[in-house]
Amino acid sequence: MIRINVNGVHHTVDVEPDTPLLWVLRDALGLTGTKYGCGIAQCGTCTVHVGGQPTRACVLPVGSVGDMRITTIEGLHPEGRHALQLAWIAEQVPQCGYCQSGQIMSAAALLAATPQPADADIDAAMAGNLCRCGTYPRIRNAIKRAAGLAGASKPRTVKGVS
Amino acid sequence: MSLARREFLALSGALCVGVALPRAAGAAKPLAAGKAIPLTAYVVIEPGGLVRVLSPVSEMGQGTFAAHAAIVADELGVDYSMVRVETAMPADPYRHPGPGGAPASQSTGGSWGVRRWYGPLRKGAAQAREMLIAVAAARSGLAAAEFAVSDGVVKHATSAAARYTFGELAADAAKLPPPAEPLLRPRSARRHVGARLERPDIPDKVRGRTLYSSDFRRPGMVYACARIAPVQGAKPTRIDRASALAVKGVIEVVALPNGAAVVASSQWAAMQGARALVIEFERTANDSLNSAAVSAAMREGLGAVSRAVLRSEGDFEAALASAARVVTADYEVPYLANAPLEPWSCTAEIVADGSLDLWGPFQAQDRARTGAARTLGIDGVRVHTLPLGGGFGRRLNDDGVPAAALVARAMGKPVKLFWTRETEFAAGFGRPAQMARITAALDLSGRVTGLHFRASGPSLILHFAPGPPVVPDATFLDGTSVQNLDVVRYAFGAYRVDYALRHNHFPTGPWRSVGATQNAFFLESFIDEIAHATARDPVQLRRELLAHDPRALRVIDEAARRGGWGTPVKPGHALGFAYFECYGSLCAHVAEVSIKDGAPRVHRVVCVLDCGEVVTPDGARAQAEGGIVQGLSAALGEALTLKGGAAIEQNFDTYPLLRLPDAPREIDVHFIQSGEPLGGVGEPVLPPIAPAVANAVRVLTGKPVRRLPILVPGFRLFGYSRAARE
Repeated sequence: MIRINVNGVHHTVDVEPDTPLLWVLRDALGLTGTKYGCGIAQCGTCTVHVGGQPTRACVLPVGSVGDMRITTIEGLHPEGRHALQLAWIAEQVPQCGYCQSGQIMSAAALLAATPQPADADIDAAMAGNLCRCGTYPRIRNAIKRAAGLAGASKPRTVKGVS
Repeated sequence: MSLARREFLALSGALCVGVALPRAAGAAKPLAAGKAIPLTAYVVIEPGGLVRVLSPVSEMGQGTFAAHAAIVADELGVDYSMVRVETAMPADPYRHPGPGGAPASQSTGGSWGVRRWYGPLRKGAAQAREMLIAVAAARSGLAAAEFAVSDGVVKHATSAAARYTFGELAADAAKLPPPAEPLLRPRSARRHVGARLERPDIPDKVRGRTLYSSDFRRPGMVYACARIAPVQGAKPTRIDRASALAVKGVIEVVALPNGAAVVASSQWAAMQGARALVIEFERTANDSLNSAAVSAAMREGLGAVSRAVLRSEGDFEAALASAARVVTADYEVPYLANAPLEPWSCTAEIVADGSLDLWGPFQAQDRARTGAARTLGIDGVRVHTLPLGGGFGRRLNDDGVPAAALVARAMGKPVKLFWTRETEFAAGFGRPAQMARITAALDLSGRVTGLHFRASGPSLILHFAPGPPVVPDATFLDGTSVQNLDVVRYAFGAYRVDYALRHNHFPTGPWRSVGATQNAFFLESFIDEIAHATARDPVQLRRELLAHDPRALRVIDEAARRGGWGTPVKPGHALGFAYFECYGSLCAHVAEVSIKDGAPRVHRVVCVLDCGEVVTPDGARAQAEGGIVQGLSAALGEALTLKGGAAIEQNFDTYPLLRLPDAPREIDVHFIQSGEPLGGVGEPVLPPIAPAVANAVRVLTGKPVRRLPILVPGFRLFGYSRAARE
C-alpha cells in the first residue's frame, strides 16, 4: 500500500512501488486528464507537478514520490479557470487536444517560477512537450497572454460555450 | 416520417438517442431527460431545445465540428451555443461515394469535412426549419410564410401569441415528410459562418475532461496490450503464455493472427505482461528489406520503361530532341510515421444478442464496422466515434479493430485493446518513400517547352485499398504517388507524368495531404532549379508559367507581396517560395530561413490560401499554422529507416517531431475569398512548406536540396531542443 497526495487529497493505493505514477493516476485513481504518449519521457503528454516541479509521470516510480504533493491538470485550478486555461481558450490553442494537459502543466510550472518569461524561457520550458497538430505558435501566445505580456494576440470577439 | 428516413435514422442510432445514450455516456455530455427527436438525418432536437447535429465526420482537432455547428445554426436559426455536434454512426446520409465505383463509405479525410458536407447539412437544417414552421402554422392557423426562426424560437411576424420553442414543435414536426426543396436562407442572414467562433471542444480539452478512446471505460472492462509481428504479415510460431501470466494483474493471453494480446485488469499490467511475453514469429521473405534496398529499387525505376501514365500532353520526346538546354534532377523522400500523440486503442463489447459495440478514435467508420463484422462473422456492429487524439490519416486504417473484436469474444467482457507507442510506430501506416526524376526541355530563351515527371516507389494504395484488393499490372498507377500532378496549372508545353511501381511489404497509409507532400517538394524544388539554371527570379518564373491563369497568379502575387519577396532580409537570412494546388485549394508560402549551428531555422512563414470561401476563419488559420508546423517537421527531421523488414525508429527518442523552440515565431496566414467552389483547408497548407524552406536553404548554401529531411553540412537534428532535453 502506498500513500500519495494528489490534488490535495490523500489516497492509499495498492500498487507496486515501481509502478509509474502515470498509471497510478490513470488506472487506480481514474484521473485520465494525464495522458500516455511515449512511456520514455520524450513527449511530455504525462506532465504533472511533483513538489511543484514539472515531472514526466510515465517514468516516475510512485514509490519515490513520498509525501510530495502531486498536481494534475484536474487539480490545477478548482474551477478549471487557471490563467493559462483561460488563455488557452482565448487563443483557441488545442486542436486534437491530447497533448494539451501536459503543455499546460509545463507552462504552469514555468509561470510559477518565472512570471514574466522571455521567449528563451518559453523555449526551454516547453521543448519537452510534443504537439503533432502544430499548435506551438498559439501555445507561445497563450503563455504570454496568461503572463500579461505584450506579444499575445489581441483579444477576440468570440461566440462560444465556455 | 418517411420509411426511408426512418430506416437510416434507425441505422444511425439517432432514433434511439435517448435509449442509447447511457451506453455511450462516457463520450457525451449529459442531456436533459426525455426523448430526442430527429427531424432530418443531420438535425436532432434534444429535450430542452438544444440542437444535436449528427455529423458525418470525426473530430480529430481539425475543427470541423465548429464549422458544422455554424452551418446548421445559421440555416436553422439558433445560436451557435445551442448546438452540439457528434459523429453519426454509419448510414447512407453520412457516406461518401467510393472512388472508382467502390461502395460509398463513411470516413473523414481528403480535407472534405466542410466542402463535402456544407450543402447536405445546410439543406437538412433548412428542412428542419420548414418542418417546425409548418407545425407552428397549423397550430396557430396562421400562414407559414409569416413565421420565422431566430434564437431557437419559431415566431410569427405580428402575433405575439404565436411563438413556439423547438421542444414544443419537434414531436409533431417529425411526423411531416422533409420538404424536397427547402428554401435556403440568404447569405445576409448568416451570423456564424465566416465569423470567429470559439470551438466547442476546447473548454474540456484545457481541463483534461475530454474522454479520448484511451480514457473511455465500460463497466467490467479489461485491458489488452498487443504484441504484433515486427515484420508485417509474419505469423506467430510460439506464444509462451506463462511468461505473461506470471505478471501480476495479467488474466489471459489471446492469440491473434499476427501476434498475441495480453489481457489484464489494468492498462499498466497489460503493458507489463506484453513486455514480458515471449513470442516468436515465422521468418519471411521480407525480413531482409532495408532502406538501401528500397532506395535502389526506386532509383532503378526512375529510368525504367513505364506504361503507367497519368497525363501526357504534347510530345515530350520531340521537345527534348529540339531543346537548347535540358535541366534534370532526381529527388527522394523517406518513409514517414503519422505519430499522433494518442497511441491507437479501441473498446469492444459483445452484447447479449451477439452484436458488437465499438468505441474508438475512428476516422473510417464503415471500414471499422465491416472489419469487425467480417472477423466475427456477424452483421450487427455499432460504431461509436470518440474524440481522436490526432488523426492525420493514420486512423483511416482499422488495424486493431479485428483484434479488439476477437479479444472481446474470447474474454466475454468489454475489452480495451491498445497499442503501445512502439507498436504504434511499427503499425503506423505512414507515408511511403518515393523518388522522382524531373526533366525539363528549355528553348534558347529559357522558356520551358516540355517537362517529364517520373515517380518511382512503393504503393500506398496496395496497402490501403478501400475497395477490393488491387492486382497491379504494367499499367498500374497509384494515384496517390502522382497525386495532384494532373491538375498542375503551369504551362510546360509538352507535359508527361508517369510512374514506376517499386513495391514492398512495409505498411503505409494516408499521411496528412498524402502524395501531395512529396510531389509539391519535387516539383516546386525543380521550378527553382530551372530558375537558377536560367538566372531568373523564382517567383517571376512561376508568374510566366501561370500567365494564363488569373486565379493562380493572384495567389502567387499575394504571397510574394505579403512575404516581402524582392525586398532585403536580415544578413544570413534568405527567402524561399513555393506554390501548390491540392484538395481543391491553391496555396503559396514564403519562408524566411537562416542556418544556425548547421540547422535550418525557419523564422517566418507567410501563407496565402485560396480555398474559395472560409467558413471558420480562426479554425482555418489554426489548420494553416498546424499544417505548416507538421510539414516543417517532416522537411527538417522526420524519417523512418528500414532494417530487417521493419522500421528502426520506435519512439520519439529516435523519430524527432518538431519541438516548440524550432517552430517559426511568425506564421502569417491570409485567405483569398475567391468565391470559387469550396476547397479543403487542413491539407493544402502542408505540401508547399518543404519546398519553400528547401528553396531558401539553396539560396543560403548554394546547393540544391534534393532529399528530405533537409541535410546541410554539420546538420544537427533540432539541436536546440535536444540540448534542452538532455
